[in-house]
Amino acid sequence: MGGQACVLYGAAEFSRDLDLALLPDPANLARLESALDDLEAERIAVPPFAPEHLEAGLAVHFRCRRTDVRGLRIDVMTRLRGVDPFPRLWARRTTFTFGEETLDVLALPDLVAAKKTQRDKDWPMIRRLVDVNYLTHRGDPTPERIDFWLRELRTPELLVETAREHAGAARTLIEKRPLLELATAGRLESGDLGRALRDEEEAQRSADAAFWRPLRQRLEELRREARRRQR
Amino acid sequence: MIDVDEICEPEWAAWYRMTPEERWNESARLWHHYVAMGGSLDPEPDPQSPFYDPETSGRPPVDGRPGLRVVRRSGV
Repeated sequence: MGGQACVLYGAAEFSRDLDLALLPDPANLARLESALDDLEAERIAVPPFAPEHLEAGLAVHFRCRRTDVRGLRIDVMTRLRGVDPFPRLWARRTTFTFGEETLDVLALPDLVAAKKTQRDKDWPMIRRLVDVNYLTHRGDPTPERIDFWLRELRTPELLVETAREHAGAARTLIEKRPLLELATAGRLESGDLGRALRDEEEAQRSADAAFWRPLRQRLEELRREARRRQR
Repeated sequence: MIDVDEICEPEWAAWYRMTPEERWNESARLWHHYVAMGGSLDPEPDPQSPFYDPETSGRPPVDGRPGLRVVRRSGV
């Protein structure tokens, strides 16, 4: 879902952990358990592997013990902040095929939405994800791509170029992304566009922190309960 | 039009120019090399993550980079 998808989309070179987004129906969870058994994965940390915790938006964490993947961390989630429910994510997923291998990953706009977190490391990743898509496809600008670039580009120079090339679309999106009004060479030069991009990022990071505040409290309660049981 | 080399380092520009399959294969090659060198697959602690739990996170790398762990040291 995260790191591996970022490699495929061009924003990362290497990822050491594995994040899985999945539909939490009983058959699917049973398949996951079977795969985790095969990897000799043990659950680490809280919460326990239970549908109610996944439904609440928490991730369940595992660490593999099988020799060839010893230490590999796997995080499982079924809900992500700021993105659609799983069935819709699945319906618009990207499927990569390499020979006989098939890989399903989040669609790029969904991956970008999922990366809008409070963590420093996610923001350069978002910038690269959108930059690669723009640089690869700007010669073939479909309406969906133009909309995505204008909503998500974070490299000021590329945003100015896109807003200039697709001025009509940019005007219609100003209401949804006010900083598009600043996507001009002059406002780039003055630093206004860069500041607006940083403010936009800060607002998203604050929203993510607010979303997680009650969930962090819940995690802390679960940790305390686990410690009490261990005594 | 802005060229890719104007907005990022040459290594990233080369990475951007690859196809997804080339990136996947190159990442796999890095992975095997990393594991063969004894690199840990345990992710570094991420205190900014909402899931961060100091009791279960891996130990931080000694130099802040991935994979380097102290396996022996003097008393200092």
